[in-house]
Amino acid sequence: MSTPLHSVLMIGWEYPPHNSGGLGVACEGLTEALYGQSTQIYFTLPHTNVGPVKHMKVLDCSNPAWFDEQNPSTHPPFFAYSGDVLRPAKKKTTIFERHELHALPESELETRVEEYAELVAQKARSVTGSYDVVHAHDWMSFPAAMRVAEATKKPFITHVHSTEFDRIPGGAGSKYIMETEYEGMSRATRVIAVSFYTKQLLVHTYGIDPDKIDVVHNGISPVSPSPDTGRHHFSPKRPVIVFMGRLTMQKGADHFIALAQSVMAKLPDALFIVAGDGDMYHQLLFETAHRGLSANVLFSGFIRDKQREMLLNRADVFVMPSLSEPFGLVALEAAQRHTPVIISKNAGVAEVLPSSRVADFWDVQAMTSEIKNLVTDHQYRTEMIDNQLKDLSSVTWENAAQKVRAVYQRAFLGRK
Amino acid sequence: MHQPHRLREVNVFDVGHADQSYFSSEKRDENAEIFRKVSQKSYKPMLNLLLELVQNHRGFQCAFSISGVFLEQAEHYDPAVLELIQKLVKTGKVELIAETYYHSLAALHSPAEFRVQVQKHRHMLQDLFDVTPRVFRNTELIYSNDIAAQIEELGYDAILTEAVDRYLHGRSKTQLYYSKTEGRTPLLLKHAELSDDIAFRFSDRNWSSYPLNAEMYADWVEVYPENEIVNLFMDFETFGEHQWEDTGIFNFWRAVVARLLERSWNKFVTPSEAVATLSSKKESLFDEKVYDVPDPISWADVDRDITAWQDNELQQDTLRQLYGMEETVLSSTDRSVLDKWRNLQTSDHFYYMCTKWSADGDVHSYFSPYTSPYEAYRRYCIILADLQEQLL
Repeated sequence: MSTPLHSVLMIGWEYPPHNSGGLGVACEGLTEALYGQSTQIYFTLPHTNVGPVKHMKVLDCSNPAWFDEQNPSTHPPFFAYSGDVLRPAKKKTTIFERHELHALPESELETRVEEYAELVAQKARSVTGSYDVVHAHDWMSFPAAMRVAEATKKPFITHVHSTEFDRIPGGAGSKYIMETEYEGMSRATRVIAVSFYTKQLLVHTYGIDPDKIDVVHNGISPVSPSPDTGRHHFSPKRPVIVFMGRLTMQKGADHFIALAQSVMAKLPDALFIVAGDGDMYHQLLFETAHRGLSANVLFSGFIRDKQREMLLNRADVFVMPSLSEPFGLVALEAAQRHTPVIISKNAGVAEVLPSSRVADFWDVQAMTSEIKNLVTDHQYRTEMIDNQLKDLSSVTWENAAQKVRAVYQRAFLGRK
Repeated sequence: MHQPHRLREVNVFDVGHADQSYFSSEKRDENAEIFRKVSQKSYKPMLNLLLELVQNHRGFQCAFSISGVFLEQAEHYDPAVLELIQKLVKTGKVELIAETYYHSLAALHSPAEFRVQVQKHRHMLQDLFDVTPRVFRNTELIYSNDIAAQIEELGYDAILTEAVDRYLHGRSKTQLYYSKTEGRTPLLLKHAELSDDIAFRFSDRNWSSYPLNAEMYADWVEVYPENEIVNLFMDFETFGEHQWEDTGIFNFWRAVVARLLERSWNKFVTPSEAVATLSSKKESLFDEKVYDVPDPISWADVDRDITAWQDNELQQDTLRQLYGMEETVLSSTDRSVLDKWRNLQTSDHFYYMCTKWSADGDVHSYFSPYTSPYEAYRRYCIILADLQEQLL
């Protein structure tokens, strides 16, 4: 089956190295793979200077008025998505971040997103003849996509990496954001969801037509050179169980602390590392002390790069007890680094990592016995690690890009 | 005089690497920096001033309570400080007071450990100064009937503590009191107002008595009759560190000493001398002079209780974990583990974790090397985990 060449106007929000979330990482992986499959990409960003990018044309759609000394123009005017990658502890270089969003006057948020839409529409005009479809990532870019699509009558695709329902459990999130998500998806030609988990949420919570939604799982770039796994990095005498993510309701760090107490009854020497920061940090410290776990649950704060890798290399078990996780890239990174992964049932990543173990985020008992097996049964553990690595072999950005191109094709042909 | 061994910057990746110091790294020894800074501003100028006063006034005397961890740091970081103290002690005008070597809360958590630390401190004073202390003050003047009993068992002549109104019941703090223990150990109670006029209020421009001079201060002291005692207990660092030299604190103190000694009815006394002079032989007097303290008191914060060190759950659990390791640590053959465990008992570690706010919170953050109580807790937990790993 041959696929014709496509050209796409992609509306982004953040991009490495200046990004705080999985969204930027996903955009990088996807666009590089699309370029490898002969797709031409115009990529808009609400900030300048993304560093050397050769595989696509970046269109700077920022407004200088958004930025000042504290908020450099290299960053989006607010971080919209703080998925799996953690926020630096000290950094205060952006105007808004996702977790601070609700402390913000909504009018200001709307204004920025609206201004971005206007700037994208202007820039897009200069390349109108050169693309076939519009592809928008998450709600911040939906108004821009709608505006461009309306003006050009081109098909547009909304790509849902995360919804307000994931980020603020219980539907207590921003009405404005949820409406923007709904409107963007309703008016889109096609919708891409990062998992079946997210697709069912879009269908049941947002009422989007299931036939309009394609699932495209994220990929992951291979680790090279091969990871330096093993216990030598730190705490060589103890099982180390790791949580990594923002310390928010969504990520379920409080369930991890409860889990730690339960595991301690079975494995008294176990050490638990909580990596990340967020608005629940202080509460989690008190929770730890309250449960008498001060010497067994340690907080690393925000970590990045080498330390992040080291922690995943060292971990004996990685736990992701999210209340709602559209995908959960960090679970794949853990699996790549030979770490058995226990994932919440409410997480998309389990769909591409069938050899991982899945449990309800609150099911401390099930997770405890799983951790005990993984720590004490060497063969069980080795088999699981090997199977996870096998799972990963098909989780590539190339596969994701192929599926995305098929979605372009359907959108372009006007098929639903 | 006290300086803790503050924890160095640690992260979780340090856990389980043997033979690391918890208190300094190769790159940086913050404790040395702090000690030398305070030494320049306070220890050396004030010790020199005291030496001058002892030489110039036959009637001037004082007492030092010096923690073992302070003396360790003085030896390592600025031996001149130690030499000055030795010189002062040799004059016979400076009494040395007993306390726990580690400036710890052991009296509240482990009587056995408390005893060991008091002995270790006594040995250090004997080695460095050829002096055996006769009077005891517990860490931060922390005191209760139970603690008094522990001290009494160790055989001290008197104990220093805080005068707390809820236990004095209107009685004057300028008398000698006795512990509610079998041996009725004499107690010297701190005069908080007159002590804090110097320690806290001296340079406060919003204070109604600012600027304080020696004449005014002497008048306040002379309110009390000749046969009563005003116990001025304060941080040594009051002189030069909390109150900088440019506030005039050194000259003020020099003038206070001169002014008080001008009058024959004023006298400076060491704790031992005070007790010897004021002790009553009449047993019948004892009951009305008993200071009954069922719950621990201290000289800290407005409530004069121990909530600065053990109140919130961060403090309570780290203390529980630390003292929970006692048996394992003591049975370990690794001496370095024991040494680390004892240094982790220094009360300052728990003080840094205090989350009380208001005016007390300001005092706490002034004294803390960390950005927040949460950071103090976070680091301490990492160290505890490492110590545990060493015992596995």
